[in-house]
Amino acid sequence: MPAELMRESYPIQGGDFDTAGEISGELKTILRDLGIEAGSLRRIVVVAFEAEMNVVMYARRGTLTFILTDDAVDLEIRDDGPGIPDLELAFQEGYSTASDEMRELGFGFGMGLPNMRKNSDDLRVETEVGKGTTVFARIRLDAHE
Amino acid sequence: MSELTHGFRIIPEDCTGCMSCMRACPTHAIRVKRGGATVIPELCIDCGSCLGVCATGAITATTITFAELDRFKYKVAVASPALFTQFGMKDTPAQVGQALLALGFDAVWKYAVDIELIDRAIRDYVQKWPGPFPLISNSCPVVVRLVQVIYPTMVGQLIRIEAPREIAGRELKRHYSQMMGLTPEDIAAIYIAPCQAKTISILHPAEGAGSHLDGAVSISQIYNDLLARMRKAPDGASAGKPEAGAGEWFISGSPEGEFPSLSREHYLPLQGLSDIIKVLNDVEKGKIRNVEFLECHACQGACIGGNLTVENLYIARSKYLRLVAARTDPSPEFLGEVDRRFAEEDFALRAPLKPRNTEGKDVDLRQRVERKKKASEYLKALPLLNCGLCGAPTCRSHADDAAMGRDDIRECVFLSPDRIDVLRDVYRRGGRHGG
Repeated sequence: MPAELMRESYPIQGGDFDTAGEISGELKTILRDLGIEAGSLRRIVVVAFEAEMNVVMYARRGTLTFILTDDAVDLEIRDDGPGIPDLELAFQEGYSTASDEMRELGFGFGMGLPNMRKNSDDLRVETEVGKGTTVFARIRLDAHE
Repeated sequence: MSELTHGFRIIPEDCTGCMSCMRACPTHAIRVKRGGATVIPELCIDCGSCLGVCATGAITATTITFAELDRFKYKVAVASPALFTQFGMKDTPAQVGQALLALGFDAVWKYAVDIELIDRAIRDYVQKWPGPFPLISNSCPVVVRLVQVIYPTMVGQLIRIEAPREIAGRELKRHYSQMMGLTPEDIAAIYIAPCQAKTISILHPAEGAGSHLDGAVSISQIYNDLLARMRKAPDGASAGKPEAGAGEWFISGSPEGEFPSLSREHYLPLQGLSDIIKVLNDVEKGKIRNVEFLECHACQGACIGGNLTVENLYIARSKYLRLVAARTDPSPEFLGEVDRRFAEEDFALRAPLKPRNTEGKDVDLRQRVERKKKASEYLKALPLLNCGLCGAPTCRSHADDAAMGRDDIRECVFLSPDRIDVLRDVYRRGGRHGG
């Protein structure tokens, strides 16, 4: 287990489409200032944004935690949303349970989880219907380009 | 770290330390210490915001002088289309071209063909691009540098096609060396630039591959001389000199290229640095979908609003619209020339664009994390007023400076109240407005 260099947690407000994305933005600024290589940084920001949007769309509140080690960034996004009844289905591209309203806002194209999987080196989802969902994603710092 | 050269310099004797430039800088690259402004080169993107706000003219753009051009046997002007919008409603581009000849250029290159070629090359590039989207235009050097410094993850989305002015430089050297029996090195391709950013992109291209142009003079630098020659000799004082380049003086898109041919819903034209930053923030988070191409110009009004133009943007724009309206359909010769060159030439950038390394890889990740944590600790002690009296534009940049060892955290007047006496002393002598 490599040593933890940095850890930050941020609360995410569900249903707030106005500020949605600010946490991923903050995360990007921190990691860019740390000089994280562009390819890894890009993947981290995509995963963080998709996860943040899922919380905003489906839950009342959640938290995003990032942990930086010597060779990876771990993201842990936890929410109190409705949970995902069929995970396999949720990972299919284009599958979405978003409302028309969300789609009009430009979200809910069913690319969230597929995108997160594509951009992380390791992705794990723990979910319980009625309780909430936690996503664990690892993005290695050396693996891309 | 390699030396970064920028398109302007600060003249210390003329700087009053008023901090206007520091507050205007979008990348927080300026510090004002002991009443004088300095630039952190790795953060500067050559946008020229500082030039525009300097009250005493202490910040000046680097351009070349006419004397420096004497080493060339044959001098060809490549005028930014913005130049033609700077004169009276009745002054034609051809008259401006004549005035350039009278000024001492041996020829003026009409580069409508080059602009059309790049328009085609970009349409092609957008259509064939597999992703990620959106692609970002690279003809504005400030936009390229902004992405390299602030959006390193998006550097791969900058279009890797040469700017029209570069293609013009390459072609005119080929053309005149053949026609005049000279070597390409004898021929100077001089860009008439609307901003200092283009000048620096010629002297120090972002991709590090060199430029086909040999230098730039700014529109404001030659404006009076051109005007005098246009008024004095409206018709053919420079007769006998060639004014080459096939076809039209003026182009169909906006100055420096716009892409009316790209489908509207997948193409966003953006102007002004603050708006570009807003949109790129959304792009980086993956929030913008279905947009294939962003055409970005750091100046409001694109290049006719460049900081080395003379006429105000609104007058220039109305002149521009008049020029566009007066344009006739492209001639068969023009289209034939475009087809011929499109088939023969390569328009790709010669070297890849890379993110600029602003943090310095001089220390390892652990040390950078330590520095970041130290900066957060420092920030807690600062008032978050962004008063600027420490010499940094924001409390956050002061905390970062201190953590990086660039400055002492105690420069903050809230931490060291007696520092105000030092400042009083600095600004009394020579002072903000000369006392």
